[in-house]
Amino acid sequence: MQTKRTLVSAATLVVALGATSAFAQDLLYPKGDGDFSWDALDAFAAEHDYSGETMDVTGATTGDDAQRYRNLYAYFADATGATVNYSGSESFEQDIVIAGQAGGLPDVALFPQPGLAKDLASQGVLVPVADSLDGFMLDNYAAGESWNQLATYPGADGEEDVFGIFFGTDVKSLVWYVPEQFEEAGYDIPETQEELMALSQQIVDEGGTPWCIGLGSGAATGWPATDWVEDMMLRTASLEDYDRWVSNDLPFNDPIVVNAIEQYGMYALTDGFVDGGPAAAATTDFRDSPDGMFDFPPACYMHKQASFIPIFFPDDVEAGTDVEFFYFPPFEANEELGRPVLGSGGIASPTNDRDVTTGFLEFLGTPIAHEIMMAQGQFLSPHQDANLDIYTSDVQRALGEILTTATSFRFDGSDLMPGEIGTNAFWTGMVDYTTGADAQSVADAIQARWEEIQ
Amino acid sequence: MNPIFQGLITIAIGVGGIFLYFIASNAFLDKVLFPAKGPNTSRNINRANTIRPWLFMAPTIIALSLYLVYPVIGSFYRSLFNRSGADFIGFTNYTTMFASSEFRTAFFNNVLWALVVPSVSTFLGLLIAQLTDKLRWGNIAKSLIFMPMAISFVGASLIWKFVYAIDPELGVINALRVNLFGAAPLDVLQVAFWNNIFLMVILIWVQTGFAMVILSAALRGIPEETIEAAIIDGANPFQVFFKIQVPQVTNTIIVVFTTTTILVLKVFDIVYAMTGGNFNTQILPSYMMQFMFRDDGRATAVAIVIMLIVTPVMVQNIRQARAEMR
Repeated sequence: MQTKRTLVSAATLVVALGATSAFAQDLLYPKGDGDFSWDALDAFAAEHDYSGETMDVTGATTGDDAQRYRNLYAYFADATGATVNYSGSESFEQDIVIAGQAGGLPDVALFPQPGLAKDLASQGVLVPVADSLDGFMLDNYAAGESWNQLATYPGADGEEDVFGIFFGTDVKSLVWYVPEQFEEAGYDIPETQEELMALSQQIVDEGGTPWCIGLGSGAATGWPATDWVEDMMLRTASLEDYDRWVSNDLPFNDPIVVNAIEQYGMYALTDGFVDGGPAAAATTDFRDSPDGMFDFPPACYMHKQASFIPIFFPDDVEAGTDVEFFYFPPFEANEELGRPVLGSGGIASPTNDRDVTTGFLEFLGTPIAHEIMMAQGQFLSPHQDANLDIYTSDVQRALGEILTTATSFRFDGSDLMPGEIGTNAFWTGMVDYTTGADAQSVADAIQARWEEIQ
Repeated sequence: MNPIFQGLITIAIGVGGIFLYFIASNAFLDKVLFPAKGPNTSRNINRANTIRPWLFMAPTIIALSLYLVYPVIGSFYRSLFNRSGADFIGFTNYTTMFASSEFRTAFFNNVLWALVVPSVSTFLGLLIAQLTDKLRWGNIAKSLIFMPMAISFVGASLIWKFVYAIDPELGVINALRVNLFGAAPLDVLQVAFWNNIFLMVILIWVQTGFAMVILSAALRGIPEETIEAAIIDGANPFQVFFKIQVPQVTNTIIVVFTTTTILVLKVFDIVYAMTGGNFNTQILPSYMMQFMFRDDGRATAVAIVIMLIVTPVMVQNIRQARAEMR
């Protein structure tokens, strides 16, 4: 979900754009300390030496987030002698497209979502990963098959190849709540959608408001609702239907999809279910929306959002003690669909086959690289060799577990659809639906837009 | 190297280079190509004078063709191709665009913007310029009104986001609604049709200062005698304003009006930051942003339409400016 957060919103626009800095720094965790897989780092250092070489990496992460990545690159620099210049930009998606046409490409691009990487791969801007990394995700990631599939695109010559490795993931099928309030009111964690609906109704009957929903995100307004619909698709339709939906083999206005939209509406549009009502939900900023849970008395009891949301909680709230999450449950009625998990992730792709570029991607494949990011928080890894003890909190560990034990994992559908749909028509359609349009006409409009794409 | 030095060096090279170019090319023309001596002196002088303007205009012509003419032609050419830029599809991008209801909404809204914003901000600017002219604290009032000019459009949008906030503890409008009238708070940006006006208010707020400063200068440029004569002849303040002052600044009013119109047709930040084009507030520039970097064919088609709309206003603006110079 990185991309949607980084897309321009009123709040983030005024924040200064990320700056480049290449100053040398100390290593964040001294080598040899803690439960890190230092052996992997030593082995990597022994095989790679790029003394005096310089490489550029660009991505969408800025500020503190970017610093976490710089802390990681310091280990690569330390092990190989290479200098890594990272620059992050809120407008990464535009910059990389322009650089692809006008020159000035970085050696490695960190895409917050695979959709754009796929486009650029077909234009020949990206190059396939080196042979040493071809089967890397298959061998090392949980659900490696799906990850590998998500990084395999046709190149400029039409030939399918792996164009990067996934680094950093988010889990989306989560409902956040404040355990203290649940305890006080005597609510149990719902195990099925039916129970979740009953609980929502019970909260309304007892004079409370069950949900905080906020779709506001500046120009990206509407994206949180697409996650709702995707999660509902996974819980009401088969994985095959989900995949066909994402590729438009199943039309957007098919009854299956319309039903999923209406399932979201069961929560968002029912009287009294949402703090402020659906009209307010349509414009409340997604970053401010969860705050209602921490009011006293609570403005709402539950908030459905991806694993990154704790960074937007009020400062004094600690994830794991003050706030917890439960898995957005499946329908009892659709038991055969199992426990699907919706997620997203960033992909690191090379733009050339320099040795240092390959070495850098190999470094991102080492368990130690994942551990250093995990130890800094806000990072989930499907890497099977990464030490789960490194996670800084039980919340993170539990999230990591959801990721590695899901019966089925599917990628955020809107991130995979063509840009006009996934990052535009779907968003605005969801805003229209939330503010009163009916599901069928919204779905018809999105499908019409999809058919317009030549 | 420090970016400041880089900038200074660039400026020095740029300014110095163009200076050198003028001197050197002029010298070459006069001394080498057509020297004002020898058997053909008068013919040489005439020839040199014919060529000289072109020589001096050359840097501008080259820069303009490279950065203005070429992009326009290139954009038009690109708009005839499909999403990937590989297949020629003629005017299909334009026909799909005109058929789309969102384009029609954006077009209609843009017309509304182009009518309302320049008129209101010019009118308010003129009014304020006149009212503050003789006041002791007039300059303070003017500075305050001019200040929003220094804020970026996104910054201004952010400020107004608070004014329009649903939460009555944040938003002024909802605070009034709730506390004075006891009504339920509502999201003003979702009120059909009027939300467009609410967005225009932001640009008017920013732009009125500009109109005020220009018009204030123009009003002060009016010869005192005409006003004195009118007062002696018994004209009341309204007559002085409408019959003596306004006719003498008409040209300036038109320039301010057209300049603001051109600005309106370019501004996308406000809609982009406030509503993202939702709730039927789409305008052409933000509509174009939806396609940029995804389907450049359609994005350039919108850009060409915007250019066609701006051109007549621009021509009018230049004509007016020229008329003023005479």
